[in-house]
Amino acid sequence: MRPATERRDVVPARQRVSSEHQASLDIMSAVFHGVAVSDAMAIMVVEPLGGAQHVSWSNDQAVKLLGYAQEDLAAISFDQLLPSLSGGELRLLLRRERTVRMTLPVRCASGALLECVVAAVPAPGGRRWTLRLSSTSNEAERALRATADAHERRFSTLTERSPIPTLLSEQGMRLAHVNDAFCALVGVQAEELLGTGWMTTVHPDDLDGVIEEATAVLVGGDDAGEGEAKARLVRADGTERTTVIRFSHLFTPGVGAGFVGTIEDITERLAFEARLAHQANHDPLTGLPNRTLLAEHVAARFVPGDVRLACIFLDLDNFKVVNDSLGHAAGDQLLVELAQRLRATVRPGDLVARFGGDEFVVVCQDVGEAGAVALAERIGEALRRPVALGGVELRPAASVGVTVQTAEHTAAEELIRDCDIAMYQAKAGGKGRITVLDSDARAQARDKLRLVAELREAIERREITLMYQPIFSTADGTAVAVESLARWQHPQRGAISPATFVPLAEESGLVSGLGLLVLDETCRQLAEWDRLLGSAAPARANVNVSALQLDANLHGHVASALLRHGLDACRLSIELTESALMKDPASARQVLQELRDLGVQVSIDDFGTGYSSLAYLRRLPVDCLKVDRSFVAELADGHAEITSAVIALARSLGLSTVAEGVETVAQAVELTRLGASYLQGFSLAAPLTGDDAATWFATAQAGGASTVPLIPDRHPDLELM
Amino acid sequence: MTPPAALSRAGTSTLAIAPTFDLERVLASIDSMATQRPVAAQIVSAANSDQASAKELSRMLGADVALAGRVMKLANSAFYGMRGRVTSLQFAVTVVGFTTVRTMATVALTDLDDESRLPEDFWEVSTSLALAASTLAPRFAERPQDALCLGLLAQLGVALLHHNDAAGYAELWATERSFAGRRSAEVQRYGISALRLTAVALQQWSFPAGMVMPLTLVDDPASFQGALLRTAFEVAARLTDDEHEEVPIESVSSGQLRERDVLAVLDQVRTDAQELRTALLS
Repeated sequence: MRPATERRDVVPARQRVSSEHQASLDIMSAVFHGVAVSDAMAIMVVEPLGGAQHVSWSNDQAVKLLGYAQEDLAAISFDQLLPSLSGGELRLLLRRERTVRMTLPVRCASGALLECVVAAVPAPGGRRWTLRLSSTSNEAERALRATADAHERRFSTLTERSPIPTLLSEQGMRLAHVNDAFCALVGVQAEELLGTGWMTTVHPDDLDGVIEEATAVLVGGDDAGEGEAKARLVRADGTERTTVIRFSHLFTPGVGAGFVGTIEDITERLAFEARLAHQANHDPLTGLPNRTLLAEHVAARFVPGDVRLACIFLDLDNFKVVNDSLGHAAGDQLLVELAQRLRATVRPGDLVARFGGDEFVVVCQDVGEAGAVALAERIGEALRRPVALGGVELRPAASVGVTVQTAEHTAAEELIRDCDIAMYQAKAGGKGRITVLDSDARAQARDKLRLVAELREAIERREITLMYQPIFSTADGTAVAVESLARWQHPQRGAISPATFVPLAEESGLVSGLGLLVLDETCRQLAEWDRLLGSAAPARANVNVSALQLDANLHGHVASALLRHGLDACRLSIELTESALMKDPASARQVLQELRDLGVQVSIDDFGTGYSSLAYLRRLPVDCLKVDRSFVAELADGHAEITSAVIALARSLGLSTVAEGVETVAQAVELTRLGASYLQGFSLAAPLTGDDAATWFATAQAGGASTVPLIPDRHPDLELM
Repeated sequence: MTPPAALSRAGTSTLAIAPTFDLERVLASIDSMATQRPVAAQIVSAANSDQASAKELSRMLGADVALAGRVMKLANSAFYGMRGRVTSLQFAVTVVGFTTVRTMATVALTDLDDESRLPEDFWEVSTSLALAASTLAPRFAERPQDALCLGLLAQLGVALLHHNDAAGYAELWATERSFAGRRSAEVQRYGISALRLTAVALQQWSFPAGMVMPLTLVDDPASFQGALLRTAFEVAARLTDDEHEEVPIESVSSGQLRERDVLAVLDQVRTDAQELRTALLS
């Protein structure tokens, strides 16, 4: 027996078919009802009726969309709804084999045309179509379009009115858009710039770079979406603007890649920078390149081992006289005039630079020594032409140094330095000359440079030593003081004369260091003698001071040295040459007064060899005059006039005297007779080392000073501090 | 826009008797074309998508060497100003743009590149039309690239009609020189104008409505949407037909162009047309 459930499933076949048919009908009914009342889609069924297509059915949404009553829709011919498909074109939409989708204007009940997407689906049999209609302008789409339009308008306004020239490409180099600012920049109408027209405004030499950069941006996408190119744009009037074009990648979905280009006109900025660079590298008075540009110019052209460069160094003779007598304005006028002459005289491509003050340098390329000298002569002639300044006619002249590059030149600056040396040689040989620096002169100059470096080291390492020469009183014949004398024993060159190294120190800025060394060492030695000898130590040491040290710092340096070694100021006497004092007597007087106030004595060295004004001498705060050795030497020839006069002058001014270079006992006797206060010379005592001096003074104290043998020194000594 | 006179001339008795013209068959042929050039058909279909990428399109193009070669040639032509810098197919697609690639695929798909099957000066007119539309597009707030493609494809319907009635259409083409006149004659002879046929075809291939709409509105003088194409037809006619009776450009262009501006446009179009034609067809 079958279970009850199985029995219930046994249904007769006819009854089952009928039931399935009923279910299908129910489903169709449900679908149809759903379609009929759907508010999502407007649907119509179209079929031929009486020779024309008619709407045989429509749903509620169709009625709502088009505004017709259902009966009205059925009554009118379908082609009346689609005015754009007149003249039999309805068949383009109502195809038998395929579904057709078209965007068409559909006439509404109000007569207005509503743009719709119409999809016509043919029913089997090919005589009936189901049409789906959807307005292309439903609310959401309208809102989206309005937003998109607003964005578009904002963007358009932004670019149109932007003062920044802007390009917009949507395909390769072809522009879809340029703004007014770009049109104004190049002076061309937009129509002529669109497409590839804008490329004709790019300078031909710069176009490749622009395309290169734009291509990189087009290819690069997000990874390398930006780039820039510097390019000149040629305006319609032929003038050029220098710009930087910055590219950004622009991707439009469904369209492809393009770029946005913004242009910065940097013409003014570059001009300003060029002006600044010009100002930095040129002399404002003459407009000539200055020293900086000269160095760059030579460095850029200097190839070691090559022999193509030549330098001509000019220094105007007596320019200071023009400045002092006619005024600085006249001096400037002269410099401008001579700069013009120089420029007009040199060859094209030669550089004329103002090196400083009244110095000019000409740099030539591809010229030998003969050519450089010929040019220097032409320049000399050009400069000598008369020039009228302030009603005075001048004939300017210059000392000229010429250097041609040789294999020995290893750096550009050596070339300029050498022609500077040549110019000094020319000046030293007499003004208005031309000197070519030959290899001997160059070797001498380099040797001098080496010596300066070695002197600097010697001072730093305190390798400059001092000798001390006793000074005797004529009153009792005892040694009362010493004079400090600097010595340099070079490890390779041997003893170097002070006549060599003192001027060298003055030229190369080392004299201050040298002076301080001598001052400090003298004080140290005095203090040591005090410790060793007690009352037998020299009462005073004379230290020579260079004219270059005669400034406001001298007082401080002297006071500091005395303090450092615990000495009284009366233990020092500062010796200055009369020429040093006469350079700036007022200032010298001030410095000397400060030293006197400190308690230090002041002596005038080599008195009578310079051009002292006796009136100044009277006012200078000095204690002692040193009679120059040349006058003392004349005593042996029976000429005592000058020595006698100097001693008498000192006495009348209340000053003491030291006679230098006393070589013989007869001279010593004669000087004593003439009234000299003190004597100094090899016949009395030669310069001694600090230790020997200690021994010498100890012996003298013991009463044996006069027995000290004479130590002849073949080199006349030059005194310094 | 179509002058009444042109309409009246349309049914000229000089034309041969129209063949039994089966529009259904012509329309069906649009579908069958896809099976003959599947790569081109695939590109026509894919390029419309917002998701289309140069990489994907170039991959597809790689399967149609002739079409790929044309895209490369076009990208390197003076028209795009790239001066031979386009060395990869993907970059070529980027440079010419997706719509242009699609247009070229459409040209290939519909045998428009076979000049022996087209009226004599078909491409001279089409390139002039395309360049005029592209050049003038910004004045009408249209995208030059789309306008170029629309111009290139506008006469697709002409090709379809010519393919189906070579002798008859050639005679119509020779007899009716004005575009408006031709359209009227086409409607008389075939029941549909070539321009309308183009619209149907492009719509069938899902070209954007923005490209199709102007084709349907070109004869409506009140329609601004049809004004660009209408103006481009006038410019092309002035360039290609010595006997063309000029229509005032202000009225054709809905006031967007003045006669004094036309000369510059003519010059530009004339310069680029030959270049474009060479790049597209050779």
